[in-house]
Amino acid sequence: MTDKTTDAVKTTDVTPPDSTVVRAGTLSYLFPRRSALIAVALSLVIALVTALAAFASSTSMPFSDTVAGLLGTGDSATVMLVRDFRLPRIAVGLLVGAALGIAGCLTQTLAGNRLATPDIIGVNDGATAAVVASVVGSSTGMIGDWWLGPLGAIGAAVLVVLCAGGAGHRGYRVLVVGIGVSTLIGAITDLVMSRENDNTAGGVFLWTVGSLNGRDWGVGTPLALILLILVPLALVAGNRLQMLRFDDDMGSALGVNVRLVRACSLALAVALAGVAVGIAGPIAFVALAAPVIAARLTGPARVPVLGSALTGAALIAAADALGRVIAPVEIPVGVVTSVLGGPFLLWVLFGSNKTGAES
Amino acid sequence: MTKTTTDVAASPATGLGLTVEALTAGYPGRTAVAGVDLELPAGEVTAIVGPNGCGKSTLLRAIARLHKPDSGTVRAGDADVWQLTRRRAAHRIALLPQSPQAPEAVTVAGLVRYGRHPHQGLFRQWSREDERAVRSALEATGTAELAGRRLDQLSGGQRQRCWLAMVLAQETPVVLLDEPTSALDLGHGVEVLELVREVAAGGRTVLMVLHDLAAAARYADTLVAMNDGRVVAQGPAREVVSSELVKELYGIEADILRAPGDDSPVVVPRRG
Repeated sequence: MTDKTTDAVKTTDVTPPDSTVVRAGTLSYLFPRRSALIAVALSLVIALVTALAAFASSTSMPFSDTVAGLLGTGDSATVMLVRDFRLPRIAVGLLVGAALGIAGCLTQTLAGNRLATPDIIGVNDGATAAVVASVVGSSTGMIGDWWLGPLGAIGAAVLVVLCAGGAGHRGYRVLVVGIGVSTLIGAITDLVMSRENDNTAGGVFLWTVGSLNGRDWGVGTPLALILLILVPLALVAGNRLQMLRFDDDMGSALGVNVRLVRACSLALAVALAGVAVGIAGPIAFVALAAPVIAARLTGPARVPVLGSALTGAALIAAADALGRVIAPVEIPVGVVTSVLGGPFLLWVLFGSNKTGAES
Repeated sequence: MTKTTTDVAASPATGLGLTVEALTAGYPGRTAVAGVDLELPAGEVTAIVGPNGCGKSTLLRAIARLHKPDSGTVRAGDADVWQLTRRRAAHRIALLPQSPQAPEAVTVAGLVRYGRHPHQGLFRQWSREDERAVRSALEATGTAELAGRRLDQLSGGQRQRCWLAMVLAQETPVVLLDEPTSALDLGHGVEVLELVREVAAGGRTVLMVLHDLAAAARYADTLVAMNDGRVVAQGPAREVVSSELVKELYGIEADILRAPGDDSPVVVPRRG
């Protein structure tokens, strides 16, 4: 019996699966082979989607010219057309998708529930209400500044957490209170819309379904800078969030400050979702779908923060391009993701729960 | 199973006792633990017994840094546990909660690796030390054959041994167990308690909360009986367990018999 055990130990590989250990002296690093491979593959998908989206714009131009324009190797008119007129919108879409993907990944892991997205905890509605409400004070009837989005999101999140009495206990209470608060805040958006004339309400409506129309570097640059700060923080948080997959007692006993990790992750998710909604409106389902797809791709051993970002980016850029080619009049990206997201939600709800073992 | 004992003994995490001094802890409007003193030597198993609500779980939680005491100190070796950082404390004290929840779809090896978390960092993600500790924990608990299996596909007894392996991989001198046998049948319960004895024999200090007085009397070196937040009796089981103690703790009449072999007390409740 003893010998058998010993043999099993000798032949058992206890190294984390899908990883390569790199050691130097007392330092050691686990290179996540599978996650890295998936990240490279997703980046290629994003490059392809970017090229197709630039190609799919209304003016006719051969695909080879579009790619040359993107790479800066075409003639100057082509380069200008692609880079100055088509690329900004695509880039904003990619960034917004990355932000929503990470936000969804964080909230889903926090709550231990794949349906727990920023939409559900009232963050999107808060951001929407803040931006829409700003239209009231505006004489031109134009949508207000994007930075009202994160402010509204933070306001809604603080309200939800206060009403729920803290962010503890796997966030179930936060979820339930969030549903109530988002309904309340949604009513504010509706009230504002009903008070405006048809023209303004039309513009506001377009924004409230989520659209990338007319988004350029004016919003893209601040978004990129914000993500430059938030994404590395989210990657660190994702590493710690792994330990929240245990119950709180076990997590604490393993040396994790469970409350701090939870609070920081929630704050990051709120900020990311708020910025994204402020810029592109509440684009539905990306925050739900991106982390689920990323988790399928990278396996259950890690919290797929990077994978969710890349998947979210690809999803939004693809949906936006699709919305521009399938109908004579552009369909807003939010409508496209809603149409595609419905069946996906049903798949998540009723589909197989198999996530596969770690190794 | 004798060989496993030497493996546990070979681990570096041994030799620190646990001292509890004048510990008081409670909840708003209620004192659950009222001035408890304990002195647990390394290499021994101590079991806390008592009726529901006697404060034994709160005491364990206060020692495990899960419930902040109102006053008093908890020392592992010379260090005040509540003065350490969370991570440092996790180097000294490990806890197995009563019904721990595992990450979704985790494998046995994956679970045991999580036990190394307090020893890991950004640039110390998987050291040779981690590898050795996980191997030795798997071997000590006889779960090496299960390493690649998914935890949720194992039986209750196997699962509990895997959780113990994770706690052992943490390589702490003090190990706390909250009702480690509550969900197990007699056979698997005994298996786990035998394992707990081996862990202590390797030099660690083991403190467990047990519902089952008979099992506690049989497997613990020292019995701590609690009632109403206080320690009412403390010492080797065969000296402590009496009809009077059973009546004081549980309010029932019982006879105490002696087990053949080691004379450990067996509680037989009288029928009314």
